[in-house]
Amino acid sequence: MRALVIDDSRAMRRIVGTILKDFGYEVREAGDGRQALDVLEEGYQPDLCCIDWNMPVMDGLQFVMAVRANPAYRQVTLMMVTTESEMGQIVKALAAGAHEYLIKPFTADALRDKLALLGLLPEDVTA
Amino acid sequence: MSTPEAQPISALLDAETVQSIADQVWPSLVGDGEVFVPVPVAPPAEVVSAWVDIIGPWRGSVVVTCAPATAQALTESVLMARPPTVVDDEDVADALGELANVLGGNIKSVLPGESKLGLPQLGSAPSRGRLDDVCALAGQWRGNFLTITVQGAAPAPHAERNEVPL
Repeated sequence: MRALVIDDSRAMRRIVGTILKDFGYEVREAGDGRQALDVLEEGYQPDLCCIDWNMPVMDGLQFVMAVRANPAYRQVTLMMVTTESEMGQIVKALAAGAHEYLIKPFTADALRDKLALLGLLPEDVTA
Repeated sequence: MSTPEAQPISALLDAETVQSIADQVWPSLVGDGEVFVPVPVAPPAEVVSAWVDIIGPWRGSVVVTCAPATAQALTESVLMARPPTVVDDEDVADALGELANVLGGNIKSVLPGESKLGLPQLGSAPSRGRLDDVCALAGQWRGNFLTITVQGAAPAPHAERNEVPL
């Protein structure tokens, strides 16, 4: 499986990426929504995008809307991974087309549970 | 604070709430078994701060302050960096900023009304506003000085009068 981790924090990209690699994912990274769209436009086809909300240039919500507006990316599962934890923000992200929502701080177990819910946990990883 | 009628942070948030947020953030971001201990220690001669601004009914910043060496150690812990891996200044700015960001996002969520979170910044802590518009949690990580301060924005300086005689 392939994942694209989108966060302006290198530290957070590394944390999320390390967990996903432990689950058997191939991981690419982008520092904001615009960079992430560039990666998709290059032809990279992730199964999962993990998306921070607050980023410069293009934020996570704008990225979700841009991806959902393009039928070519219909198969990509979008999961917000963010400190934005108010219900209004969660509803806004889900309404825009995000499939799941993980609030920072989170544990590897919490990420694994979300992947299991989405059917994106490889079979050889214990749920 | 943004408006004269806005409540100070001391009426909206207490140190126990900040500590409970730190209790969640430390093990999941800094590392397994890592804790922020709310027992103050003497401040070092030199400090560095990372902060995020909160803009909403309450305006201010969530500031994390520690010694540069502590920031370096925090970064190594966040990145799970082991020798011979060396973290650079950009890593330190990024990791300390992300710590402020995660703390700030969770603190924002317990404040009333809809607010926006700014992007992390690093440097000397921003000026404080009113004396009662501060919720500071002094403590330590691995025995080293570290504070989490939620502080109101300093009022904008009055524009200098520049009256031109008619």
